[in-house]
Amino acid sequence: MPSYSEIMSLVGFKSKNAVAKLVNRLVGEGVLDKDGAGRLVPNKLFGEVPVLGLVEAGFPSAAEEELIDTMSIDEYLIPHNKEATYMLEVKGDSMIDAGICEGDLVIVERGPEPKVGDIVIAEVDGGWTMKYLRKKDGKTFLEPANKDYKPIFPENDLKVAAIVRGVVRKY
Amino acid sequence: MTPFTHRTFPRAILHVDGDSFFASCEIVKDPKLRGKPVITGKERGIVSSMSYEAKSRGVTRAMKLSDVRKLCPDAVILPSDYETYSLYSKRMYEIVRRYTPDVEEYSIDECFADLSGMRRVNHMSYEDMSMRIKHELDSELGMTFSVGLSVNKVSAKIASKWRKPSGLTIIPANMLHIYESKLPIGKVWGIGPQTSAYANKLGIFNAYDFAMKDMAWIADKFSKPFVEIWRELRGEYIQGLTIGEKHDYASISKTKTFTPPSTDKSFVYSQLSKNVENACIKLRRHELYTSKFAFFLKTQNFNYSGLELKLAQSVSTPQEILEAIEERFDDVWRKGVEYRATGIVLMDISHATGQTNDLFGYGNRIERMRSVYGAIDRISEKYGKHSVFLGSSFRAINERAHRGDRSQAPWRHRNIVRGEGAKRIAIPFLGKVN
Repeated sequence: MPSYSEIMSLVGFKSKNAVAKLVNRLVGEGVLDKDGAGRLVPNKLFGEVPVLGLVEAGFPSAAEEELIDTMSIDEYLIPHNKEATYMLEVKGDSMIDAGICEGDLVIVERGPEPKVGDIVIAEVDGGWTMKYLRKKDGKTFLEPANKDYKPIFPENDLKVAAIVRGVVRKY
Repeated sequence: MTPFTHRTFPRAILHVDGDSFFASCEIVKDPKLRGKPVITGKERGIVSSMSYEAKSRGVTRAMKLSDVRKLCPDAVILPSDYETYSLYSKRMYEIVRRYTPDVEEYSIDECFADLSGMRRVNHMSYEDMSMRIKHELDSELGMTFSVGLSVNKVSAKIASKWRKPSGLTIIPANMLHIYESKLPIGKVWGIGPQTSAYANKLGIFNAYDFAMKDMAWIADKFSKPFVEIWRELRGEYIQGLTIGEKHDYASISKTKTFTPPSTDKSFVYSQLSKNVENACIKLRRHELYTSKFAFFLKTQNFNYSGLELKLAQSVSTPQEILEAIEERFDDVWRKGVEYRATGIVLMDISHATGQTNDLFGYGNRIERMRSVYGAIDRISEKYGKHSVFLGSSFRAINERAHRGDRSQAPWRHRNIVRGEGAKRIAIPFLGKVN
């Protein structure tokens, strides 16, 4: 939950006293609650937890039926081919306009033929680089997602090692 | 020369072998290493794996690293990163399992697979399956494998070794004799230098010479395992595959070297204690028990001194073993001697405890210990190995095993991503990308 001074700037109040009045109103309405130390905790802020249905003996319940088709976050991140999946850590901001930041983990797949427009991991000067795969006049090249960087035109053939399939960011 | 049979594949057995496997696992994550002589085993002081570039410079397995540096000054010498190697190893087995459930996980870089009967299921010939498996291994793992297809384990091994690296050799039963006539007897899987020297004296020089002798002659001159090899060289299927995870062990051993060598009794004892804990972790993982063990100390001059001890009960927890060791440790320990390694070998391993009630309640204590270790194993599963360990192992766990050149930690230990700790994500990490 935000602090009083954060709420102050969020709602545009001039004093913390005004914030305290607002908070007390919200507590009164049952939207917020205060814990033992006086810190704010959400009460009904995010709505009720949905109940999936009562389980009745003998009858299949809606809850059971709905929960069968689930996948783990692993399966979600690696939809293609488990044995060909690798991860790399992003350094620098050359793909920032594609929403990939420094420190992100990218999930990549080795093996399949890359398509133009894919974000790929290529081998350049003995290191890994991640860029968009582009094609112009029959020649493939690598394009960054950041105006401050120049596209990379390979001298010989372009060595693409893997295709980016997902990004993971942990805060 | 006549073929042993006119059939091609009465059985279809595949052997897959990773080329310079550990070195390849290192190169695949660091493109800078490609084309260079790459060697793993830095922490051991000897070569455990080398790239073909290093091999062509004369580097061999188990060579001392000091000799490697003289022979090949530009060699890239790396500490072993078993965590990464075993991730790749599991993937190798899984890719082969796409084509058959019968896969024997023979070692970290090798497996056998029985493709027999899978032609209709996979809609392709045995040759096509082998080709596809090799292609998927090479392209998805980013390193090369040597693959051999034949009719049993011995001949599949001949096939995979025929052309290395990155070979695919297919030997149907009716072609076996041609390959065998070009293969020295000592190159056959299971025939060592002693046996091949003996075979030479009997006038046998290549595998075909051996295969062409009659059964009575072979059985008279050689022991039973060699009769089995003889039958497989003739195209029969004798040695079955061991499918599934390995759960049976004749013995379990744990040894660890430390540098520099030590004359400090409590440090050396803590090393031994840690080895005992590790050996017991492996026992419990496979639900096994031991009732006999040997411990040893290795001196700087490579002398071993040790003792074999028996326990009254079968156990899978370290307490009882360490108690027995502690009583006799001074019989082995010599003051002033420099030790460089300790080790433990657990023997008489069984699935059952074979527990009998005793007069002094010793069995009850073992039972209690086992439930304590049930909890410890669950903690380790959640927070990583050695989250809880014995006080006697403290120094081995908290002090570095190696100082100086050998102390460099494996690559993956030095490259941790946000949110990882003792446990790491089970996906191979390729490092940083720009």
